[in-house]
Amino acid sequence: MKKNNRASLSDAQKFSLVRREAIYTGLALVGLIIFWLAAGFGTSSLDVKIFHLPLWAVLGSVGVWLVAILISALLSKKLFTDMDLGGEDNGK
Amino acid sequence: MESSFFALRSLILLLPLIFFMAVMVGISIFVRHKQAGKNFVSSYFVGNRELGGLVLAMTTVATYSSVSSFVGGPGMAFQVGFGWIYMAVVQVTAIFLVLGIYGKRVALLARKLNAVTVVDIIRARFQSDFLAAVAAFVIVLFFCGTMTAQFVGGAKLFAAVTGYSYEAGLILFGLTVVIYTSIGGFRAVALTDTCCAIMMMVGIVLLLHYVLKAGGGFENIMTTLETNNPELFEPFSFGNMPWTIYFTQWLLVGICTIALPQSVVRGISYKNTQGLHQAMLIGTIVVGFMNIGINFTGILAHGVLTGTAADYGGVDNVIPTTIVQAMPIELVGLAIIGPLAASISTISGLLIVASSAIIKDVYLHWAEKNNHTVTPTRIKFLSMTATAIIGAAVFVIALTPPNLIWLINMFAFGGLETAFFWTLLLGLFWKRANKLGAMLSMTGGTIIYCATQAAGFKIFNLHQITIGITCSLILFLIGSYIGKKSDDATLKIFFPSD
Repeated sequence: MKKNNRASLSDAQKFSLVRREAIYTGLALVGLIIFWLAAGFGTSSLDVKIFHLPLWAVLGSVGVWLVAILISALLSKKLFTDMDLGGEDNGK
Repeated sequence: MESSFFALRSLILLLPLIFFMAVMVGISIFVRHKQAGKNFVSSYFVGNRELGGLVLAMTTVATYSSVSSFVGGPGMAFQVGFGWIYMAVVQVTAIFLVLGIYGKRVALLARKLNAVTVVDIIRARFQSDFLAAVAAFVIVLFFCGTMTAQFVGGAKLFAAVTGYSYEAGLILFGLTVVIYTSIGGFRAVALTDTCCAIMMMVGIVLLLHYVLKAGGGFENIMTTLETNNPELFEPFSFGNMPWTIYFTQWLLVGICTIALPQSVVRGISYKNTQGLHQAMLIGTIVVGFMNIGINFTGILAHGVLTGTAADYGGVDNVIPTTIVQAMPIELVGLAIIGPLAASISTISGLLIVASSAIIKDVYLHWAEKNNHTVTPTRIKFLSMTATAIIGAAVFVIALTPPNLIWLINMFAFGGLETAFFWTLLLGLFWKRANKLGAMLSMTGGTIIYCATQAAGFKIFNLHQITIGITCSLILFLIGSYIGKKSDDATLKIFFPSD
């Protein structure tokens, strides 16, 4: 998906895009919560260690952080749209 | 001989801190000078909407990360282990959520409405001066609680590490933050927050390095911990970390933080959407680094401190004691800048929003409504004075610190979230949301939250935020369905359609 730069959108289009972006963000949160549950509690019964740390602790902390970074990158670089914030009705 | 050694030690400890505070004040004076001639209200309260991506990220993170993230949090990690990090990592959602959900919508609306505060937007959405006044009151009330906790936490840390008195610490960093915020306003707050966030990260790296060194290396510390403290390696920490804490923290420091006015106002302050997108990414990287880094250091502190947290006076003393024991004297002064930076960046962020609530949301609105002319000079004087007075009042409260200060901090956090979560979320994304719903939600939800806190009433032993947030939702929905719909002119601004 290619990121768009739309400077000449109407107010209605901008608000519609912003609403869609908020929904993407909400869905990203749901995805992260599921990953958090699976990565931590989901693997806590496994007796696996990475660098002397239990697998659940690594996945549940650094893993969650990395997934959050990936989500932020996906949202901000692919799904979110650049737009002029001035507003066509500004000052009227 | 002994006195000269003490004097030298004092100088080594204080010099980095004094230098850092001087830089903060210098930045604010520079900002005030650069902003001269611009619209004062806009420049003082939202920095003329000129923030770039990096500064937006850093100021959002620094305001969000308080002194308890650097002191109480890692102290708890020392006590309960990796479960604490697993719980604290939910905070990585805070930046991308608030900027992703509100960032652009608030920015678009602020420009349309010429709004400089969150309360401006609430007033315009629900067409209610009463609701705006309640919102301003809630902000000032709960912010004062949070700021007091920051002052007390910072000064206690200063006293524990340097050996100077609590009052000396309060005067050194407490007065400095009040002065630089009063002078420079939001722009200075954003720039100093950026310096603070950098110093927090430097502090974490330094402390981590010296803790590993003092503990004989990572492998040695972990092997000893596995033998002596097996509970640290279990998510529920043998009962010390019940599921209710995980659930509550997702609400308190994760999802509901999108409604904190001090975070949402950042959406009004940035320059363009490119900056916002950058800030989402940078902010998530930084907040995760800080949370995992400092809490992991708390666990590794077992390599330095051989007793339990209680042996050192409780969890709040774990990090100060570790700093003193693990770090060379010439770096201790530098190391405590990190946690103190967390404290002052939160105070400055709250102080400027509290000041705007009084001056912009209450006084200037009242003057405009009653056709009172307020000269730019008077606005400037009142804004700076209000900031200084609020800061000074909290400073005085902190001089005689109340008991249970950390509970007051969390109480204030939950109160703000209860008051603003549904009002902002539903108000900005749901057409049906109306004045009655917002009023019932904000006032009723906050009162119920405060009452359950006062009575100590809990359901399933969950924090009272769960009751507050549920009640405020129910009240919002009831009010929205039985109350009058918002007028078409308002809906056209907030929900434009072709």
